[in-house]
Amino acid sequence: MEDKIKRLLQEADQKAGLPAPLSSNLSSVVRHRAHQRRFIRLAAPLAAAAVVLIAAGIWNHNTTKTKEEQRKIALLETQLNQLQAKTDAALDLIRAVLDEEQKQNKFDELDRLEAQLASIPDPLKEIEEQVDLTAFYLLGQADRLYRELNRTESAVETYNRLIELFPKNRWAKEARQRLSEIESKKFNKMYQKESINEIHKTLRHLADFAAVKHRAGTIS
Amino acid sequence: MVVMAKTIDDERLVEQFKRGDESAFDRIVEQYSSDIAALSNRLLGWSGEVDDVVQDILFAAFLGLKKFRCESSLKTWLFTITVNKCRSYRYKRMLRLRRIYQVSRQAPLSSSPTADKTPMDSETFERVRAAIASLPSKYREPVVLRYLQELSTEEISGVLGISKNALQVRLNRARAHLREALAEELKGKL
Repeated sequence: MEDKIKRLLQEADQKAGLPAPLSSNLSSVVRHRAHQRRFIRLAAPLAAAAVVLIAAGIWNHNTTKTKEEQRKIALLETQLNQLQAKTDAALDLIRAVLDEEQKQNKFDELDRLEAQLASIPDPLKEIEEQVDLTAFYLLGQADRLYRELNRTESAVETYNRLIELFPKNRWAKEARQRLSEIESKKFNKMYQKESINEIHKTLRHLADFAAVKHRAGTIS
Repeated sequence: MVVMAKTIDDERLVEQFKRGDESAFDRIVEQYSSDIAALSNRLLGWSGEVDDVVQDILFAAFLGLKKFRCESSLKTWLFTITVNKCRSYRYKRMLRLRRIYQVSRQAPLSSSPTADKTPMDSETFERVRAAIASLPSKYREPVVLRYLQELSTEEISGVLGISKNALQVRLNRARAHLREALAEELKGKL
């Protein structure tokens, strides 16, 4: 059976025939491929190394540049800080001077105001004077009513009004004295009147008694 | 005696190549390319066009020749590369064909054989080819190497990297498979 299989397979192989002829330059093609591959294998790391070197160079250059720039920036920052400090100091000085000037101006202003105030009469004093004058005028008016015109009721009313309006004024004190005077005068007058009336009454009683006595004597 | 002389000649070529003489490789190609092409053709199911795969095989040989320590014959070593390359080539082709599965099913694997040198009719040939193609690689390779390349058991086990017993087992199983697949054709041979 093995032989039959072998024969059958060999017949089929013969029927299939040989493969298509290989290219004549097969070995050179293969060698070329191998060389290409070797070149690529050699070139690729070299190219990679070159790229790395270039990148490193660029990076180094950038780093150097960056360092230099950083140094410049640091220097500029220092200068800027110094300028800032100077400016701040100058500003502080200006501010102090301005403050001082403002203070001086304020003092001057205060002095001026004080002078103005000094030139202006004291309103309270003025008012007091006015009040005093008014009270004096009222007292004068009341005195005139009382003494010259003999209008005691109106005078009392005016004195009371003066006391009511300006109770602490010196003329109110005077008004109070006047009122007490008037009161005492009124009392005296009333007392005198009552005494006279009493006398008249007594006299009338006496007269009545005498008349009664006379009449009784007469009768007797 | 002839084999011994050939082996010595191969070793000399390899040594020359290792020393940097690339012309030695030209002679190796000259000597073995047709064998490599025939084996590739058979392993790939008589596809006819083996130029690319042979180029790949020789390229791999060129790259690996400096490491070749002459522990086996140069032919065995080259055939090992051939078998391995054909496996991967078949695998790649299978992946390619899977994409156009329907088309490949309708059409035969390749065009008609290059020549009609024997009375075997095309129908029988196609059946034999189909039977061989249907064999798994581990059975097809021993069959091809034994019956078509007519290598010895030692050479085949060397090429495939398996023991003689394993080779016998594989050959038996391959034969059983072929007996079943080609029953009619084999009956006609009786």
